[in-house]
Amino acid sequence: MHDDILYSIRKLVVEYTTRAGAVKAVDDVSLDIRRGEIIGLVGESGCGKSTLGKALMRLHTGPAKITEGELWFDGRDLMTLPIEEMPEIRGAEIGMVFQDPMTSLNPVQRILDHLTETIQTHEPEVSDADARTRAEELIERLGIRKERITEYPHQMSGGMRQRVMISLALALRAKLVIADEPTTSLDVIVEAKFLDLLKELQKEFGLTILLITHNIGVVAEISDRIAVMYAAKMMEVGDVNDVFAQPKHPYTQGLLRSVPNILLDGAELYKMAGAPPDLSHPPSGCRFHTRCPFVMDICREEVPPLEAIEGAQSAACWLYPSVMAKRLEKEHA
Amino acid sequence: MHESTTMGINAIPGDKSTNTEELVQVEHLRKYFPLQSGLFATLLTRGQIQAVKAVDDVSFNIHKGEVFGLAGESGSGKSTVGRLVLRLLEPTTGKVIFDGIDLSSLSSEEMRRMRSRMQIVFQDPLASLNPRMTLGMAIDHPARIHLTDLSPDQRRKRVIDILSAVGMNPANVFYDLYPHQISGGQRQRVVLARALVTNPALIVADEPIAMADVSVRALLLDLMMRLKKEFDLTYLFITHDLATAKYVCNRIAIMYLGKLCEVGPLADVYQHTIHPYTRALLEAVPVPDPTRRRKEPMPPGEIPNAINPPPGCHFHPRCPMARTNCSVDEPTLRELRPNHSTACHYAEELLK
Amino acid sequence: MDNIGEHPPEITPPTETWEVELQKVSIVRRILNSRKWYGADWWFVAVSSVLVVIFIIIAIFPSLFAPYDPSALVGPSFLAPGAYPPVPELIVSNTSSANSLKDLAVTSDQPRPTISVVQGGNSAGALNDAAKEIDNQIKNESGGLRLRPVIDRYATVEEALQAVVDGKDTAAVVGSDEFVRLKAQYPTLREGESIAGGAKTAGGFLLGTNDIGQDVWSRLLWGTRVALIIGFSSSLLSLIIGVPLGLMAAFIGGSFDRLMSLLMDSMYAFPGLILAIAITAVLGPSVINVIVAIAVLYIPTYYRMVRGQTLAVKEDVYVEAARSIGARSREILQRYIFPNVIPSVAIIFSVNVADAILTGAGLAFLGLGLPPTIPDWGIDLARGQRFIQNAWWLITFPGLTILLVVLAFTLMGEGLMEIFNPKLRER
Repeated sequence: MHDDILYSIRKLVVEYTTRAGAVKAVDDVSLDIRRGEIIGLVGESGCGKSTLGKALMRLHTGPAKITEGELWFDGRDLMTLPIEEMPEIRGAEIGMVFQDPMTSLNPVQRILDHLTETIQTHEPEVSDADARTRAEELIERLGIRKERITEYPHQMSGGMRQRVMISLALALRAKLVIADEPTTSLDVIVEAKFLDLLKELQKEFGLTILLITHNIGVVAEISDRIAVMYAAKMMEVGDVNDVFAQPKHPYTQGLLRSVPNILLDGAELYKMAGAPPDLSHPPSGCRFHTRCPFVMDICREEVPPLEAIEGAQSAACWLYPSVMAKRLEKEHA
Repeated sequence: MHESTTMGINAIPGDKSTNTEELVQVEHLRKYFPLQSGLFATLLTRGQIQAVKAVDDVSFNIHKGEVFGLAGESGSGKSTVGRLVLRLLEPTTGKVIFDGIDLSSLSSEEMRRMRSRMQIVFQDPLASLNPRMTLGMAIDHPARIHLTDLSPDQRRKRVIDILSAVGMNPANVFYDLYPHQISGGQRQRVVLARALVTNPALIVADEPIAMADVSVRALLLDLMMRLKKEFDLTYLFITHDLATAKYVCNRIAIMYLGKLCEVGPLADVYQHTIHPYTRALLEAVPVPDPTRRRKEPMPPGEIPNAINPPPGCHFHPRCPMARTNCSVDEPTLRELRPNHSTACHYAEELLK
Repeated sequence: MDNIGEHPPEITPPTETWEVELQKVSIVRRILNSRKWYGADWWFVAVSSVLVVIFIIIAIFPSLFAPYDPSALVGPSFLAPGAYPPVPELIVSNTSSANSLKDLAVTSDQPRPTISVVQGGNSAGALNDAAKEIDNQIKNESGGLRLRPVIDRYATVEEALQAVVDGKDTAAVVGSDEFVRLKAQYPTLREGESIAGGAKTAGGFLLGTNDIGQDVWSRLLWGTRVALIIGFSSSLLSLIIGVPLGLMAAFIGGSFDRLMSLLMDSMYAFPGLILAIAITAVLGPSVINVIVAIAVLYIPTYYRMVRGQTLAVKEDVYVEAARSIGARSREILQRYIFPNVIPSVAIIFSVNVADAILTGAGLAFLGLGLPPTIPDWGIDLARGQRFIQNAWWLITFPGLTILLVVLAFTLMGEGLMEIFNPKLRER
């Protein structure tokens, strides 16, 4: 795996305007996505992971806005680009696969047209014949017979539609694919095959994938690294083996213990007390402190920064000396 | 009364309901949904009306006091079976016998009154609660219909008690709230409360935790198991999530495209699998442990159309063990191991 | 942090969530807070509801706002908006001793005084009213004096004044500005007091007068009452008939549904105004008939909307849940389906009222439906049409008023529809 960073998210803040005022759905989140990796972004509903995913392509409109932060994609800060230039990047350099394949494909367009249109919009010099050949090769690669390219989305199953979505991203040789709950609406066998496919694409095309999901099992199956979000903040980031073996953040610990594991015998499901906080009135200090079994005074007062704990694993928790050290550093500065 | 060979295997340690009397007997249940109707369509298709064979000859029993799991992917027919058991749908053919009574023999008024003894918990709690009724009113309604000997005060007390029992305290505050004012997990508790207020014997739970947050699921499952003990319930637990099923089900049945593949005690089905589809299903479940990633390949293809399922064994086009006769002869459910049945011609090869 | 434990975990009611806090806040704050959330729609609804309320108040108490009786001929014809009619005054010859109208009172054996006026002005009306008033005052007094002048009408001011000069009439009543203009030509005449009847017209005519001297503004205000009565009543009638039919058709289904839908679709397909014309032509002119005619027009609208909504709601899970608990069909319809269908009805009601008012005005414009004695915008529009060249205000103001009322109701309905769309209501 490369240490070369493809997408560096720095101190991102995304705000929603609601009836009760402004709510920060993503609050000061930083994350580096390395070239060629599959990184899983997990968290419960409402933690901000989907919002973060959409923000990476600056897809938010209406009540949601990126109010702070930098989005360094492949060497340039996307926040400095005028919004009119974003469509060039979307699809061509960053692709997105959404949760519901039913609604993300145009029902009156054949798959062939979806693909050729995508190709020709971004690369107008490609002829119709060439675009079609490319499209056919692509869907064959993804396991769909090329004769089916003239079908309409409703004629295909959910799993196939998701593959078509991926092929749209691959058609333009996107560098990064953001997959937001791509398998949540799929049956488990189809899901397994889709995950296999993602892994193959990573290997063959060097594709970088940000896999956003609430399903911890899915992340464990194919990710190289895992990032855990809670209440709009990043709690822990690290290599998937390290985090699962030794979760540092108490939330991660609780989360991993509460996930059903089909291979474990005779266990009882662990339950975390409390519920995720209301983001319009988040708790003071560390967002998790109201449910944390290891809560200390400082947790109630100050937000812990995300700092490296051990090797490549970072957590935002006052329990760890390296995090505490950062604070002392700041005090002395 | 069955021979109690089932006794030891069915009982969860600590669960005192080891009564193996059958609460529900499903016999050769079929439900076909016709695609077209009307004279013209019949003429066009020359009398061959096409239908979705959602449930195709399903038979099983649910023992009193157990949690009977019904698992499968989309198109398996598991939700339809749930509704057929409660007679929310009329079967095309077949019988459902509840506590010794053949449901199809009941008049609509008798069936209505029977409903107090069998309730359902749906997948989407928000959708299953009337947005215009307070939580108290929603739970009170079945009580009002069936518990006619209670005065309004007694009824209110019962609703409050049930709300407490599902953990919604202070109950009298929640009584007056509307569904949109509480969280998803809380709503599902209210749905449970509504199902419990008439003291039913059977609860059909159709994907009860699928829409809840991960951290809430464990709480809900825990609640359901406690309620089962407290109210002496029997569950028909419909799910697609085999990992969760493991924590609650005593016995489990796997369905594929309207047919049963495998039925048996949970430990047996999971550890001594005797159907290739079940095997694939269990393999496919993502495991939250990166050191134990799946290595087995998945069966090719996808779930076929339920209108024209493959002939013979429906799974044969995708089955790694398929032989020539699998595409011709439909396998029937047969008991291969004690209380553990399979519908596969070559299941013996899976015996370990 | 419990494991599968003994105590049920306590669920606290939403005491800290923003929703509960929001409920504690007064409704005024909530309305103001929602402004930011709903944006332009909030403004539409706010402004239009204020307008609608104003219109309703005017409709209930038109006399509070209208300076004149709408049918009374209170002023000169074709008075432009804002212009003041000339104050009529008594003109007598220099030799006369009379100063005010009262001075002209005579006993029954004396000849009645003759007074000249200009035809078509407000002077005649003012003179009449004033004379009657004075007569009523003095007839019971001792002395037997009565004031019952004979009124001579002339085509122009000059002729009226000349008649006094020539002795044909005892006095003249003309507008004060007119006399000022002509004073030099009639040195033998002098001004007396102004006619008390002018007090009635002292209020001026805000929007002018129409062809027969009625106050446009007063007619507009009184017309609101008729328009709103027609609008609300017909919409209400359509609702009462259309909603239950739609509910039943969707719930029962089968041939009843098919038959009813066929009937309603036919009615719907028929051009609305023509149908209304046909019905009023048959029934005859009266407010009730207009209401009925318009009501018939809109029954299909409610029917379709309610039927569509009911069909959708019927498939919702909570209706299935209601069946699963053993509720009877009637209960399901009443408590589960109806309350969820009704909000959309309330919203189209508002737009419907707007449409009904428009149709009512249209009918009146065509001369159908309303008896001419009732002040109505449509009738005013029809009458004003002829004079659009000279007296533009006769058609403009009724037209603008209709526009404003229809706009207000429509915006309110559309805005409410945006806000109460159930998809937006999330948690």
